[in-house]
Amino acid sequence: MSVDTRPSEAPSGDLPGDLLDVAEGEDLVDALAAHGWGDGLPLVAPTPERVDAMLAGCPDADPDEVVAVLPPRFGEATRRTLAVNAVMTGCRPEHLPVLVAAVRALARPEVNLRGVNATTHNVAPLVVVHGEVARTAGYHGGLGALGPGNRANAATGRALRLVLLHVAGATPGDGDASTQGGPTKYGLCVAENAGASPWPAYPSAVGVDAPSAVTVHCGEAPHNVHDMESDDPARILDKVASAMATTAQNNACISQGEYLVLLCPEHAATCAAAGWSRRDVSSYLFQKARLPAAELKQAFQLRAWAPWMNRLADDDPAPMTEHPDNIRVMVVGGPGKHSSVVPSWGMTRTVTVPLDETGPRSC
Amino acid sequence: MLIHRPDGGVAQAPAELAPSPPVLAGRRIGILDNRKPNADVLLERLADRLVERTGATVVRTETKNAAIACSDQVLGLLAEEVDVILTGTAD
Repeated sequence: MSVDTRPSEAPSGDLPGDLLDVAEGEDLVDALAAHGWGDGLPLVAPTPERVDAMLAGCPDADPDEVVAVLPPRFGEATRRTLAVNAVMTGCRPEHLPVLVAAVRALARPEVNLRGVNATTHNVAPLVVVHGEVARTAGYHGGLGALGPGNRANAATGRALRLVLLHVAGATPGDGDASTQGGPTKYGLCVAENAGASPWPAYPSAVGVDAPSAVTVHCGEAPHNVHDMESDDPARILDKVASAMATTAQNNACISQGEYLVLLCPEHAATCAAAGWSRRDVSSYLFQKARLPAAELKQAFQLRAWAPWMNRLADDDPAPMTEHPDNIRVMVVGGPGKHSSVVPSWGMTRTVTVPLDETGPRSC
Repeated sequence: MLIHRPDGGVAQAPAELAPSPPVLAGRRIGILDNRKPNADVLLERLADRLVERTGATVVRTETKNAAIACSDQVLGLLAEEVDVILTGTAD
């Protein structure tokens, strides 16, 4: 055994309860994996010095305050524990407030984190960073934003996954029953590209008025939408609707399911140039993303549909979700004409929290 | 090298399974269908066999949705009405 474990409940020797001693020369990833920790990728050692330095990101907040309790393990997420995981993925201190806010958001009951973590579905949280903190802490919402290459996006998204593995206990085969898993379970964090959006920043659309905010949306991996030629919003959004209207997703049998529609700046600009608001986009997609009710009934015997949807005749076009508000639109990406649809897991709601509501100094 | 544990404490201890009764004959068995597809098939068949073999009585109930935890109210009522609960997941 290369790691000396001292359970926090029963400290022994001269080490505080939350410290471990890793033998000199031992492989850190292997040593932590012996405890069931880590995601398989290289990790930074969370030494006390590094963790203290990380906590400088929340300078006026109590590091040992429990900011959330995360199921299914019901682990207590303190700022210190979050800082430990943030160190492990290479976050900088300025990323810690975003991680804290994302964890607070995931702990909201409407997210249904127990279900999100434990389901057989491949759902994973997508974190979207909005406003001032996106600029000051270096989050990227432009070209290739959903992919590799930006430290803030990569390290924060992965740190949140480590929190879910370590604190929430969402370990595959134990607290996570996902049949196939999925690449987004390594982490997914992006900034809204508000500077390239023709509409007000997304938080204002959901009643969050703050300089900085964080959104969490628990869903599938992004589904690509490709349209290189249209100058008509309807022609673009018909393709978005096509990506939404499939029977191969949880939302097809759960009427409260949400869709996060990440429009690229050029698609959004085409919509706005024709006078379409964000609400117009959602409303159009609500009307167009439909399948014959008979097809959905044939596909799913068990349906958690709103009562009015259950009264649709077989040849009626059934919407993929019960209300336009469940279709959430924001701008992400850079030049080019590819957008994305992120169907939710179903029994979960997207949550946006302001950073300035999360405690002293945005933490 | 000293490092911090990344998991932290737990707010509530994991629930333990209650000890199984040594004999099922005459017991009241609760079937808690979690509404996963095919869970009902498995549970109903299991219940039928147990009734045949032991003479146990069966109480059936179900959760609201497979993706949401069973309410404390339903669990409390079941705990009053039955001696053993069979539940499960399926797909």
